[in-house]
Amino acid sequence: MTRFPGEDYIGRVEIFFHFDPLLALTTFIASRALFALFLPAVLTVLVTLVIGRVACGWVCPLGSLHQFFSFLFKKTKLLKPKKGKEPQIAWKYYLLIFILISSLFTLDLVGIFDPLSFLVRSFTISVLPVVSLAVSNLMGILYQVGLTSLGDSLVQFFENLDINIVFLQGLFIGLIFVGLVLLNITRERFWCRYICPLGAFLGFLSRWNVLTLRIDEDKCIDCHLCSIQCQTQANPYPNEEWKSSECIYCFTCSSICPTNAIGFPLRLAPEHMKSIDLSRRKVILTSFLGILAAPFFRIAPTRTRASEKLIRPPGALPEEQFLQKCVKCGECMKVCPTNALQPAMTEAGPEGIWTPMLVPEIGYCEYYCSLCTQVCPTGAIQELTIEEKNKLKMGTAWVDKNRCIPWKFGNPCIVCEEHCPVSPKAIKFIQNSVEQPDGTIRTAQAPVVDMETCTGCGICENKCPVVDAPAIYVTSIGETRSERNQVLLDLLENEQDPYSE
Amino acid sequence: MKRREFLKDLTVGSLMLRISPHLLAQASSYPDLAVIEGESPSLITKEAVKYLGGMQHFIAKGDKVLVKPNIGWDRKPEQAACTNPDVIKTLVELCLEAGAKEVKVMDNPCNPARRTYVRSGIQKAAKEAGAKVPLPNKHKLKKLAIHGDSIKDWEVYTDFVEADKIINVPIAKTHSLSRVTLGMKNWLGAIGGNRNQLHQNLDLAVIDLAAFFKPVLTVLDAYRMLIRNGPQGGRISDTKLQKTVIAGIDYVAVDAMGATLFGINPKELRFLPLAQQKGHGEFDLEKLKIEKRTI
Repeated sequence: MTRFPGEDYIGRVEIFFHFDPLLALTTFIASRALFALFLPAVLTVLVTLVIGRVACGWVCPLGSLHQFFSFLFKKTKLLKPKKGKEPQIAWKYYLLIFILISSLFTLDLVGIFDPLSFLVRSFTISVLPVVSLAVSNLMGILYQVGLTSLGDSLVQFFENLDINIVFLQGLFIGLIFVGLVLLNITRERFWCRYICPLGAFLGFLSRWNVLTLRIDEDKCIDCHLCSIQCQTQANPYPNEEWKSSECIYCFTCSSICPTNAIGFPLRLAPEHMKSIDLSRRKVILTSFLGILAAPFFRIAPTRTRASEKLIRPPGALPEEQFLQKCVKCGECMKVCPTNALQPAMTEAGPEGIWTPMLVPEIGYCEYYCSLCTQVCPTGAIQELTIEEKNKLKMGTAWVDKNRCIPWKFGNPCIVCEEHCPVSPKAIKFIQNSVEQPDGTIRTAQAPVVDMETCTGCGICENKCPVVDAPAIYVTSIGETRSERNQVLLDLLENEQDPYSE
Repeated sequence: MKRREFLKDLTVGSLMLRISPHLLAQASSYPDLAVIEGESPSLITKEAVKYLGGMQHFIAKGDKVLVKPNIGWDRKPEQAACTNPDVIKTLVELCLEAGAKEVKVMDNPCNPARRTYVRSGIQKAAKEAGAKVPLPNKHKLKKLAIHGDSIKDWEVYTDFVEADKIINVPIAKTHSLSRVTLGMKNWLGAIGGNRNQLHQNLDLAVIDLAAFFKPVLTVLDAYRMLIRNGPQGGRISDTKLQKTVIAGIDYVAVDAMGATLFGINPKELRFLPLAQQKGHGEFDLEKLKIEKRTI
């Protein structure tokens, strides 16, 4: 789990993603680049080629979660596996084809469906905040009944976990997560059976593996228990119908078999097993959909014109490349110390849903922090040292003179200037006299933004005492990563240290 | 007793209470202010407290003490945005030596507390000295009556109210609204709520807050002070090595003395004469007994 220990640099918490060959493949295809980050995914591929989808059954955390809930639903009799015709398992294969084809046209949709992205995103944006807030409420009760020392130690413990609790779309993303968990009531491991494109990818690879199911015909009493209880519709009985591409080696069948007829002997010359039968027509149709997906997702103007609200994290690649690489996993949002990074809804266009953006009304970019750049699994946010980060602009602050306290009322304030972290400050003052409705004239120091030194970190907007719609606000213009989203041409020409003699 | 009489008595009484420590201090042989310069932050702090009568003069056996540094910003000690960790460490040690039952060190920073506590070096230093260093806990925020002229009530961290004695340990910095931030402004770090709104009437706000928290001792850290780009600074060139601490019971006097480090005449700072008018202390340095030493 990603958490901040109070230091500037953290280890490779994102390494889990690098074992995911689907993320690797689609990111490579969409961004037209191979990079060494995803080397561990080769291991997953090799393991699957040799011994099948063991990763699905024994490693995948989302698989374990669905397994756990399936178990729970079975215990509570909400889920009763029955004998009978099961739905098509082919859907996840079509989804995989669709994702791969669309990535060929640089549309990277994998993040929406990849199990690891899905899991980390759901936990970051919804599950962990809910748990954290629930505990916080409980602690509130502890304090109310006077158990302060117990409350203190619990608060300290949870502070150390450093969980961000404010998220746009928290409920929305949470409902998707809950919905998918509840689908386990209809079929065990619903996600793994019908949706998971990574499972489908590994399924393709596992068709020739050496770990094959074998039923001892002499012992078998044709009770069908193995097929009924199979977690993934791998169909152990009859033996020749077993699908190695679906089996996740949970060994439920062999342990449930009343006569111990099922084993998984190693076969060095694997025989051809029943594979997924994809209809050729549907594959072609899916491919067409994949081709159409890219333009369909790009009818919106987000690629031709920068969105003012779309302030990307520091180190984010230029928008087009960013969208090709970002897998919407939410690692950056999780690690942000001020909770500033939020999942986009429409700001980045349809293809940019759940990509990170800085929302200064919720948090701001902490000056001496580059954690989000360190945890990005695909390099959509490039890894930066703190010094490198502080040379970048994410956007520019603007003063709304109609709302700013000194500009509008002639009252003192200076809160934005006080919080501005750069030295010399990007917010400076001019004396402003303003006539009030009663005819009096008041004078106060009023803020003006120095475009040259402003980094667009958003702390001014975040701390502005005009809380509903801050009187100073950041928009994306001036961001270093964009050549077009600029306002003053000669900004970078005279970089002078105003303190140097 | 009639209401009016009661209020009158209350006003007179509270004024007496507020002035009396100051009068007592003058009556004793101890100076009003100890201004100590020297190479070691720890030694000058010890020396300053010694001149004021030693820590046992302020802390009784079994006291729960709260030491309030400025941990406002995610900045390193050499950037002089937060109180010097050695000064804090020394004060915690002195409190424990004087028999304090518990010493807490805390602040409500502008940047996230977990970061500022670490980067300022204060968390480590204070823990080493034996203090508890709790993060500001929202469950402990309570709206309390401040009884001020500008602040009637505000959300306060109850840690500050529960402590028997409070020691204020600000750092000397520039500030574009109050010109300098010293001891009295440091109390904005003991409160929650939308405290940024207080800037519209900052001079009155800091007077009310200082009177509410009533530190038994104020130790102004000017070992390395921030002379521009305050209150955060950033570059080492924004700071100046002054190698001084200023300690006193009268927080108005400490702030007045602190202002002179910036070359500012105390009477130019609106909140100092105002605080004196309200009877919180003396800002006229001529009238104070000041012990200045270099060690």
